[in-house]
Amino acid sequence: MAKVTLENVVKTYGPVTAVGDVSFTVQDGEFVALVGPSGCGKTTTLNLIAGLIPISGGNIRIGDKLVNDLDPKDRDIAMVFQNYALYPNKTVAKNLAFPLQMRRLPKDEIARKVAEAARVLDITHLLERKPRELSGGQQQRVALGRALVRDPRAFLMDEPLSNLDAKLRVQMRTELKRFHQDLKATIIYVTHDQLEAVTMADKMAVMNGGTLQQYDSPKNVFDHPVNTFVASFVGSPAMSLVPLRRVVEGDAVALAGDGWQMPLSPANARKALSAKSDTVILGARHSTIALHDGPREGAVPGRVYTVEPTGDVTFVQVHVDGAIVIASLAPDVAVRSDTNVWLGFDQSRMHLFDCETQMALT
Amino acid sequence: MAVSSGPVTGSLRRDDGLLRRIVTHRADYAYVLPALVVMMVVIAYPIWFTVDMSFYKTPASLQLRDRTFVGWKNYHTILTAPAFWSVTLNTLIWTVASTFFAFLLGLGAALSLHREFAGRAVLRAILLIPYVISAVAASYLWKWLYHSDFGVIGALSVQWGFTDKPINFLDNIHTALPSLIVVNIWREFSFAMIMLMAGLQTVPEQLLRAAQVDGANAWQRFWHVTAPHLKGVSMVTVLLLMVANFNSFIVPWLMTGGGPAGASDIWITHIYQIAFGRQNWGLASAYSVILFIVMMCLGYFYVQALTRGDKGRPE
Repeated sequence: MAKVTLENVVKTYGPVTAVGDVSFTVQDGEFVALVGPSGCGKTTTLNLIAGLIPISGGNIRIGDKLVNDLDPKDRDIAMVFQNYALYPNKTVAKNLAFPLQMRRLPKDEIARKVAEAARVLDITHLLERKPRELSGGQQQRVALGRALVRDPRAFLMDEPLSNLDAKLRVQMRTELKRFHQDLKATIIYVTHDQLEAVTMADKMAVMNGGTLQQYDSPKNVFDHPVNTFVASFVGSPAMSLVPLRRVVEGDAVALAGDGWQMPLSPANARKALSAKSDTVILGARHSTIALHDGPREGAVPGRVYTVEPTGDVTFVQVHVDGAIVIASLAPDVAVRSDTNVWLGFDQSRMHLFDCETQMALT
Repeated sequence: MAVSSGPVTGSLRRDDGLLRRIVTHRADYAYVLPALVVMMVVIAYPIWFTVDMSFYKTPASLQLRDRTFVGWKNYHTILTAPAFWSVTLNTLIWTVASTFFAFLLGLGAALSLHREFAGRAVLRAILLIPYVISAVAASYLWKWLYHSDFGVIGALSVQWGFTDKPINFLDNIHTALPSLIVVNIWREFSFAMIMLMAGLQTVPEQLLRAAQVDGANAWQRFWHVTAPHLKGVSMVTVLLLMVANFNSFIVPWLMTGGGPAGASDIWITHIYQIAFGRQNWGLASAYSVILFIVMMCLGYFYVQALTRGDKGRPE
């Protein structure tokens, strides 16, 4: 296995920039998830690393080797595709053997490696079948096996679980994580599902509009999003974002809405003062918001919009100053729509963003 | 709102008689009856008429009441005549060579046109001309190209020093059939090209990328991914070409009329001569019946290829 380094990688199609100036390093044995909405450039980035499309600028290194101009086959990477991309006319055994045959390995070594990969992935009994005779989960395993047999320097995975049904996806997620731990493999994994990224990856690269927004551990991305995009993309339900007015009276700083003010703690006051304009975006995750049925010191008034019970927790969507704030409650607490409530924000865990730059205030 | 009336279908068993089943599903049968009648009139009746006539000696006039029953004699005459075997050999050479090279050329053209390059659309349109041009026009065009006195091909071969004098392509028993086959290939390769181009568009991009990452070069990608994917459409194309070639008439008839000395005579032109030249309707019918049986065999393989293509398609 090897580390993978991207330095200022750019991909343009004529006037369109698909990937703009992306830099990050995947350490040897690290599992990195590339996440972002559709069209954010994450799959393009993966294809650039694989060499399936040429880069327009920057450098890509696998290990210490500069691979900018190398063909995919010379980059010694393995790839797992969304639709598995198994060769339909070949049996499972021949699918697994294909990358080895292309590298002209001796026959007995191919047989040994195929048997070993099949054993690891528990697909030995499927070896003589054709891909169309397999279930989605089995096909996924074969696709993984075909990547595994080659002992590549890095695995590139392009939404490998998105074609599976919900239950199987959760199961394969666990297996993939185990696979990574056992092999200590370098994995770069593209997904639009932030939950997959959070649960499996050592690090997340959050992309939007072709640029890298944040590259950090899932915990740091979750706890310290660098901008409103990351804040609203990671976490389910998404972080609530409310644009509010900054009011400064002497040393005291408060955020103000329609007919109310919320005084800020000294730390938050300092952050709010660093904002470029008088509008500051308040961000809070549902678990950091307390819900009260009467006015409290520092609490913000709102009106319940909808109540969504999910079983272990009930999500309450509250209208605050024209924005929606999602709070959560224990399932045994009853709340009704169109009633007035007061929201208590946890000052130590709230986020403040600059309304102009959308960046986190620190 | 049940359409079919009668007894409850649940009581029907598989071994119920055909008539009983028809009666039970009489409404269903009534719906297809008009189509059945039309097919009987335009397909079944002519076939039956031809088969029937193949057992008669017919007068040169079309006074069919003067015909006399001769049993298998027409078939016997055909199978013992030396002309039958030479015509059959010509037909086989004509069909196999035309099909093979038209397919090969079509595949080459389809693969070259599959990649992006400037002028691709124009080239594609040009390559389609042989297929859309009328067979009669093409025949006369090539007749001029081949002409021994005024033909471009003969003139060029002399000018470039290949031959001393222009070759008489169509009036030589050795060159007549190959010359016709060239024309036929020229006419048919665009058909193979269209079919294979459509097939190429359905090759999944991800499979090709997977093969690329797995280390396959361009030729290996073609052999392991593209070619297997084209198997179904290739079978269909080859069979359609074979059927068309077995039934070819316009090009050989207009260019050589089967000559010289039967050197380019194939079944259809031969049958045409017997029927409309010698006015021997009974013998021509017997010939047609034999051809019909051969075509039905090809048709069987065609249907097989079509259904297998459906089953073999991934996802």
